[in-house]
Amino acid sequence: MTSPATITAAPTAGASPAPAGLDDATAELLAGSLREVLAEGGDLTAALAELGWADVLADDPARATTLLFTEHGRALAHSRVLDDVLLAELAPALPAATAARALLYPLHSDHPADPRGPLTGLLLGPLDGITEVVVPTVLDTGATADEPDATGLAGLAGGVTLRILPAELVAAAAQPVRGFDTAAGWLTVSAAPVGPAGPATPAGDAWTRAVAAGRRALAAEITGGCEAALAIAVAHTSARVQYGRSIATFQAVRHRLAEAHVAVESLRSELTVAWGSAGHADGGAWAARLVKLRAGYAQAEVMRHAVQVCGAMGLSLESELHRFVARTAALDLLLGDHRALAEQLGTELLGGAELEPVVAI
Amino acid sequence: MTTATAADPTVIDPADIDPAVLRDDLDAYARALRAWLASEPVLDQWRGRHYPNTEERIADHGRFMGVLFRAGWNRYGWPESAGGLGGDERHRAIFYDALSAAGLPIPAPHLMLETLGPPVVHFAPELATAYLPAYLRGDEWWGQGFSEPEAGSDLASLRCRARREGDTYVLSGSKLWTSHGATSSRLVCLVRTGTPESRHRGLSMIMLDADTPGVTIRPIALASGENELAEVFFDDAVVPATNLVGDEGKGWAVAMYLLQWERAMYAWICAADALRRLRDLRGQVATRLAAGARLPDGSAARLGAVYEQIIALRSRSAATVRRLAAGDTVGPEASVDKVLLATVEISLFDLARDLLGAEFVLGATDEVAAWRNEWWFSRSATILGGSAEVQRTIIADHVLGLPKEAK
Ligand SMILES: Cc1cc2nc3c(=O)[nH]c(=O)nc-3n(C[C@H](O)[C@H](O)[C@H](O)COP(=O)(O)OP(=O)(O)OC[C@H]3O[C@@H](n4cnc5c(N)ncnc54)[C@H](O)[C@@H]3O)c2cc1C
Repeated sequence: MTSPATITAAPTAGASPAPAGLDDATAELLAGSLREVLAEGGDLTAALAELGWADVLADDPARATTLLFTEHGRALAHSRVLDDVLLAELAPALPAATAARALLYPLHSDHPADPRGPLTGLLLGPLDGITEVVVPTVLDTGATADEPDATGLAGLAGGVTLRILPAELVAAAAQPVRGFDTAAGWLTVSAAPVGPAGPATPAGDAWTRAVAAGRRALAAEITGGCEAALAIAVAHTSARVQYGRSIATFQAVRHRLAEAHVAVESLRSELTVAWGSAGHADGGAWAARLVKLRAGYAQAEVMRHAVQVCGAMGLSLESELHRFVARTAALDLLLGDHRALAEQLGTELLGGAELEPVVAI
Repeated sequence: MTTATAADPTVIDPADIDPAVLRDDLDAYARALRAWLASEPVLDQWRGRHYPNTEERIADHGRFMGVLFRAGWNRYGWPESAGGLGGDERHRAIFYDALSAAGLPIPAPHLMLETLGPPVVHFAPELATAYLPAYLRGDEWWGQGFSEPEAGSDLASLRCRARREGDTYVLSGSKLWTSHGATSSRLVCLVRTGTPESRHRGLSMIMLDADTPGVTIRPIALASGENELAEVFFDDAVVPATNLVGDEGKGWAVAMYLLQWERAMYAWICAADALRRLRDLRGQVATRLAAGARLPDGSAARLGAVYEQIIALRSRSAATVRRLAAGDTVGPEASVDKVLLATVEISLFDLARDLLGAEFVLGATDEVAAWRNEWWFSRSATILGGSAEVQRTIIADHVLGLPKEAK
């Protein structure tokens, strides 16, 4: 295992001063260590601590996060590292943590559940070892005026409030996901009782920032999944022979793979751009939503082409490909799937939202 | 001479600006340019302007370039030896972006300037010194003579011949689909100096005056009715050998060099212009909605999708432009930019067509006519400069490294 000392960005020798953040060689080294750790399975949080990940992250949040989540996606790993990303952004709005926390993700896009109803949401894994679950909630606007204020949240309509629920309470209402991707280890929470719960704290724009950070991380994870699927398709079509030649010599196959490559590259470029505004007060929410949208399109396109060019193999359990199809679809759903995000974005634009150029030279 | 205090939008007399400051400081250039574009009243005549035909449009865009040249703005990014004020591709990218953001068109001659300017500057600096300043002033523009009746995607099969005779080349043959060909002052042509079978090894690049005896130009209209293109015939047209762009027999290398800008800068220009047109479309749709019109189902999601595609193209393209500015060679990966730009063009103008609905088919206003013209032109995004299929093949061959296509 690489020691923390060797993986933090060391100043490069030579005349020019080292640029801030990770250089290419260090990043490559780190990616290798991450691959090892992820291949071993086991407790990712502990392994990252051993790698000195906190220092790497502090040094270059953009590159470190992208690296970690890309490898996570490539390895089809399941862990709570995404919780860490969102909880770090929510921390300023929460009482100091005294115990391990997890996050309940909204089922629908970035719109948290209404606290007056029974809570629903997604958990990234079982709550073993977790004491508290942070639950974002939002009073649906419009309903507040004529309804009795049972929750003591009057005046917070439309704004997100954070509640901390005991893990046992949420765990009792949690079921392992038995959907498209059973391997993700996620749980759906349906009808968790809200009370008796601690006080609700207004999230301010911490929720907006958390969602933005989560979307950038998810875009990286989807990038990793897409790269892995494309690599499978390239390898399969190059090796597989029909009509006396490798099927990757057929133009229809080649062009599908080229389109998949374009999808991945555009995602990668837009993710770099999205990190450029991460330091803004709203956490770079606009660009983060765009890149999550792009990631959703990219996974749809890459998987459609990869499955087709692999023939029967691509839709059977004989190949690993199906695991990337299912995983990236699940990741697309988290914090807003591409259809919902396009609709939301377009509605805002029709309503007069600025057509931001986002990218400058 | 005072330096550019571009933070103060009232100080925008270009005569007060020290070019060295804006050459060395991109942010200062961008700020000063935006302030000028926002406050210069003469520019209003180019906002939302419609023309009866493409010849008048390009001529008027030439006048627009003259205004931009005198104020200095379109000279940044080009070397002083060629009439510029120094700087690099990033200045040019900022320039196109700022025009679009200010609701102004990118002058049409700049499209071919981005394709033909860099190779001429690099391989024929004397020609650049002689002719590029007039181009930047908008007094002339050039056409690119690559395609021929029998050489489209398979460019290396071209047959237009240049025969060496003393200090001259004698051209015979023809070129087809030359953009702006009917109004160009000069043509930069890829011609065969080797044997007919020599493919890409026997090609040379040469510049000639469009009014050279023996050159005949026939305008060609796109389906919109606009004379965007031309066919050029060479009947023993005599061109000085000093007009070669690069060495004899090295035309293919010059063409490959040129492709870097043709793909990368064109992508950036398209993205800048697409954002302006999407803004226009949104405004026109809002007016219709206010008048009680209904949009087809799924319109909002498509609008969101097109906007995001433009941002994805900008993300990719900005990185490529920065690589060009840094002097990197942009190779086959530029095909990614080209595929993305074609996707944007097709989906933006299909969206406009669908949102305008019956109006697109039946409407007689200048605004709708412009959408129709541009819709036809947008179809060329998957054809010109290497078709959609050719780009995918380049990616498959040279980026993904797949086994070569079956012959
Ligand atoms: C608006 C516009 C402006 C232009 N401006 C210029 C200009 O200024 N200068 C200039 O020199 N040219 C110009 N062109 C020409 C342009 O470069 C050619 O149209 C282009 O190279 C394609 O050639 P082609 O039209 O002959 O199509 P073809 O090569 O005949 O192709 C027709 C179709 O067949 C497909 N095809 C061809 N070969 C393959 C293959 N190997 N695999 C798969 N599919 C294939 C193509 O993708 C295309 O869909 C312009 C074209 C347009 C539309």
